[in-house]
Amino acid sequence: MAKSDDCVHILQGLLVFGNVVIGMCGIALTAECIYFVTDPHGLYPLLEATENNDIYAAAWIGIFVGFALFALSILGIIGVIKSDRTLLLVYIILMLITFAFEMASCITAATHRDFLTPNLFLKQMLERYQKSDPANNNDQLMIEGVTKTWDKLMLQNHCCGVLGPSDWQDYTSAFRVTHSDADFPWPRKCCVMDAQGVPVNLDGCKLGVPGYYNNDGCYDAISGPMNTHAWGVAWFGFAILCWTFCVLLGTMFYWSGIEY
Amino acid sequence: LPYVPRIPTAALLGKVTATTFALERPCCIFDRHANASDAVWLVVAFANASATFRNPLSWADVPPYKQLPTAHSYMTLETAVAAYACSAPSPAVLRVGDDTACRDQGRHDPCNGPLPSPGPYRVKFLLMGCHGPKAETRWSDPILLQRAVSPGTIDPAPSHRGSAVVVIASILASLGTVLATAVLGALGAKLWGSLCHRDLGTSAFSHRSYRTHHIPPALPQPQPLSCDCSPPGLGCFALRPPAPHHRN
Repeated sequence: MAKSDDCVHILQGLLVFGNVVIGMCGIALTAECIYFVTDPHGLYPLLEATENNDIYAAAWIGIFVGFALFALSILGIIGVIKSDRTLLLVYIILMLITFAFEMASCITAATHRDFLTPNLFLKQMLERYQKSDPANNNDQLMIEGVTKTWDKLMLQNHCCGVLGPSDWQDYTSAFRVTHSDADFPWPRKCCVMDAQGVPVNLDGCKLGVPGYYNNDGCYDAISGPMNTHAWGVAWFGFAILCWTFCVLLGTMFYWSGIEY
Repeated sequence: LPYVPRIPTAALLGKVTATTFALERPCCIFDRHANASDAVWLVVAFANASATFRNPLSWADVPPYKQLPTAHSYMTLETAVAAYACSAPSPAVLRVGDDTACRDQGRHDPCNGPLPSPGPYRVKFLLMGCHGPKAETRWSDPILLQRAVSPGTIDPAPSHRGSAVVVIASILASLGTVLATAVLGALGAKLWGSLCHRDLGTSAFSHRSYRTHHIPPALPQPQPLSCDCSPPGLGCFALRPPAPHHRN
């Protein structure tokens, strides 16, 4: 009798510990997803213009799943300590629903990260940056978003284009329609600027003299934060789900052992 | 003059664009033949028209920039010969096609306007004095400008599915299936078990063990002293105090 009591106590202790970890991970997931949703690098307009912002949807789901995990973990702790069958049944069913949502969030974030290729941003930049005749209101909003974001990107990261300034030479673009190739082989923002925001040597920049223009592509500055975002949501969610799986199996075993 | 104009070999990203190109500045080439008042022109012609180009005999015959589509050549970049002297401090390259203002305003000065088509061009330098051409360099190799492609040819689709997605999706799907099966199984087993127990409880002969209680024989209840009833049904001659017949 004493031995089975000890086993029960050990199982209870393990389940309580498991639920505590789930609760803390839930809060961490919520915090992480809120951080991503606030878009500290200002890259959301680029995703919005590609009409492929599902990694943000995954982050939003993550916020609510985190809260749900925290609340359910408290419910689970109470249920385990009180050995209440009804509470634990409710806990198990709600946890399954949360598990399903978090699964969806992880798979969405991982899948849609693969769509964010350099070519996607290149095409969007060439077609939208400084486009002068918007087709409709929605197009106008996207154009403004893309233009502002690219200007900020190129100024802050000292880069030009997606793969380099030659993007502007290899392809025709909406930018080329309003800015002649002789004056603007690439946008002015690609030039090295002084403190007042004026190019240091405009002729040098136009000719491509090293030191007067930015030769790097901006793709690293875009993909870095997006990778962190997508993999942060996907892998952390995956880890939480693996742990939750174990805790849920333990809870079900405990539940089936409770006498009426 | 044996000099051949050429595009600079330095690593300049903008040395050839869609409407401009850069040339190395010739130094010390014209010093022997030139007076101080002479000027050096750059002749730009389509590669297939370079053989038919005739040097203009005077300053009035210089083909302007506007004539490029019809005459297939023009002359530009008129600079004093001193700029090409050995001792002149100068930028190392000349940019052909740099001036967009003169194209739009149509001035008559030698216009260094952007080139309208990418078709291969050949250039040569021509030293013009007051009475006509004095010296010229050789024609350059054909220079082909950049041709830009439409961005519609860019294919934004990813080249291959990442392995991380497959790992995450497969492991999560299997975990979810195991959990769902476990819950359904546990619930089903409990339901089946409780149904079976209810069935067994309704049958008269159950397998439960009965615990017998020892019931001591009941002691005869003390009869009320005031009632002697021997044969039942004959009534009782009550010697009790009469009970009240009706309630108050």
